Amino acid sequence: MASSRKITLRSSDGESFEVEEAVAVESQTIKHMIEDDCADNAIPLPNVTSKILAKVIEYCKKHVDASKAEDRVNDEDLKAWDAAFIKVDQVDQATLFDLILAANYLNIKSLLDLTCQTVADMIKGNLFPVRNEWLNFTFSIANRELVLVCLTEWVAHRRLFCS
Amino acid sequence: MEPDFIPTSFADFPEDVHLCILSFLTPSEIANFSCTSKRFVSLCRSNAKLWYALCDRRWGSKTQIRKWGNGKIGYRLLYKTLSEWESLIGFWRRSGQRSTSSSAVATAAVVPPPPLVSFEWGPSFVAGSRVSPSEDGTYGVVKSPFLWMSLSSSGEPVNFVDPDGKSGEFGSNYCDDSIRKTDLIPVDVNFMGCTYLVVEENMGLGCSSHRNGFRRSLSSANLCSDEEEASGSENGTFGSLPDRYMSEMYQNFANRTSPSRSGAARRQRKREKARQGKRKWEAEHFVKIIDCSPTPSRPLQGLWKGIGDCMKLEFYLVTYDEIGGIACRRVGEPADRFSGCAPVFWTSKAKFIEPPFSLEEAIMYDSRVHLHPTDEENFMFGEPPMENEPVSRILYINSSYDLLIPDLAGTTATDRRNEGRIWQYRNGTFGFGFLWDNFIIDLKHIALNGCLLR
Repeated sequence: MASSRKITLRSSDGESFEVEEAVAVESQTIKHMIEDDCADNAIPLPNVTSKILAKVIEYCKKHVDASKAEDRVNDEDLKAWDAAFIKVDQVDQATLFDLILAANYLNIKSLLDLTCQTVADMIKGNLFPVRNEWLNFTFSIANRELVLVCLTEWVAHRRLFCS
Repeated sequence: MEPDFIPTSFADFPEDVHLCILSFLTPSEIANFSCTSKRFVSLCRSNAKLWYALCDRRWGSKTQIRKWGNGKIGYRLLYKTLSEWESLIGFWRRSGQRSTSSSAVATAAVVPPPPLVSFEWGPSFVAGSRVSPSEDGTYGVVKSPFLWMSLSSSGEPVNFVDPDGKSGEFGSNYCDDSIRKTDLIPVDVNFMGCTYLVVEENMGLGCSSHRNGFRRSLSSANLCSDEEEASGSENGTFGSLPDRYMSEMYQNFANRTSPSRSGAARRQRKREKARQGKRKWEAEHFVKIIDCSPTPSRPLQGLWKGIGDCMKLEFYLVTYDEIGGIACRRVGEPADRFSGCAPVFWTSKAKFIEPPFSLEEAIMYDSRVHLHPTDEENFMFGEPPMENEPVSRILYINSSYDLLIPDLAGTTATDRRNEGRIWQYRNGTFGFGFLWDNFIIDLKHIALNGCLLR
């Protein structure tokens, strides 16, 4: 009965997506809505556009399917799939940031970890874009020579973490 | 890479997301990042939530972060401590001789504790357990916890040893009173680099001496300082070079009559002897067993257990050396090539023979008896008790040390005696045997992925 129930999710721009309940409840937010019986009609998600919602659904579907297979080998394959899913060529940075916000709003821990790890890797590689308030435009931190960093602040705050 | 216009920046994320992103970085990476923009400075500032996120990301799956230090410890301090203690996790073996001048222990009556020790995460502590082969003739191992390392609410290390192993599992709470009532002995755990450990009784705890948060201190006798004997307290030396510790350690344990200022040294030694007399537990030294698991390029590497000739379970350590050789020793025997203790088997070239195997080899393998646990042999009448693993590769071994140590050439039997084979099985384990007998000793992993296999 309820095991293969279909849930309708509506994005902020009015598009409807029908997904299996098992996929929908990957999101703790949606899961609670269903449990609280707010899910008779479509579940509105005003914070998520259709483009992002499609990607989120793709991610959840893959992970639900992978957990059904119950095979150790799938751990490696799943990781590879995740890496391809989030690869910055496939996903431009705006999409990546929107995915983060969506994963946070929908409370999907694994997707949030995946996207945040990607951003963390960007920070490690000095590829994180910085909006410099003084110069008022956005550029990659790789152009370090253009960034005016206040040296005293740098020293003061570095001490907090590295002592 | 053309930077597109980014509608959001790091600062626009909610706080949860900040913490999630930063939790994947190290503290120095966070410091670097925070300096790239004024706005980031306030977002990345050092606060309890951030340090908790860092601890949880690294160790949340292994231990219960919130329980450490009775739940009251500062997470920045916890992060520092856990980063240090993380290098404990794994297998260590006891090394070195026991201090000879102990009067508290009747050495004749005491069986030395098992050489293999395993450190694991507990919910709010790190536990060290002795790992010994079970005596029941199976592949089982016995794990008896003996060392418990945790933190107080103020972040100081609180370490105890249970010498008789009676306490079983350690509880997560302690208080000073309960410790004195039990047989638990307070100890100091001192790191010398990342692979050497000294665990020794902390004689100062009973004297309620104030211990500050230094973790790199030698709390036993310090032969070099005049202040020490004047105060008579348990403060250690606070050097920062491992060399200094090594030399002090050797002085302490090896040569009791080392020269120093005569009067001061004599008083020091006298005090030290008095302290020794009250010692309830002998200090133990441990060396970390790095490479305790096989890797794809070193499939035989690591800790193994197998039923040896005497039908008792024994632990073996197989190591690869820099020139491509493989050596197998019983755990606890010194690894030094010239210690006079020959390895169980040894080969200078780890070159496997792939199937199809010659008829000779096939006959040699099939004609041998696998040494398997005794109770399983009850099921056997002429048939192997358990399904023999198919052999995937064969390696020639030769334990003769004639080439290396000419002195041994006359004493050991001919080369043929020490020649043998390693049969690597498809499931990753292997068995070995020598030409002079008809047995195969099948080895299994002691631990996989850091978990002890019983």
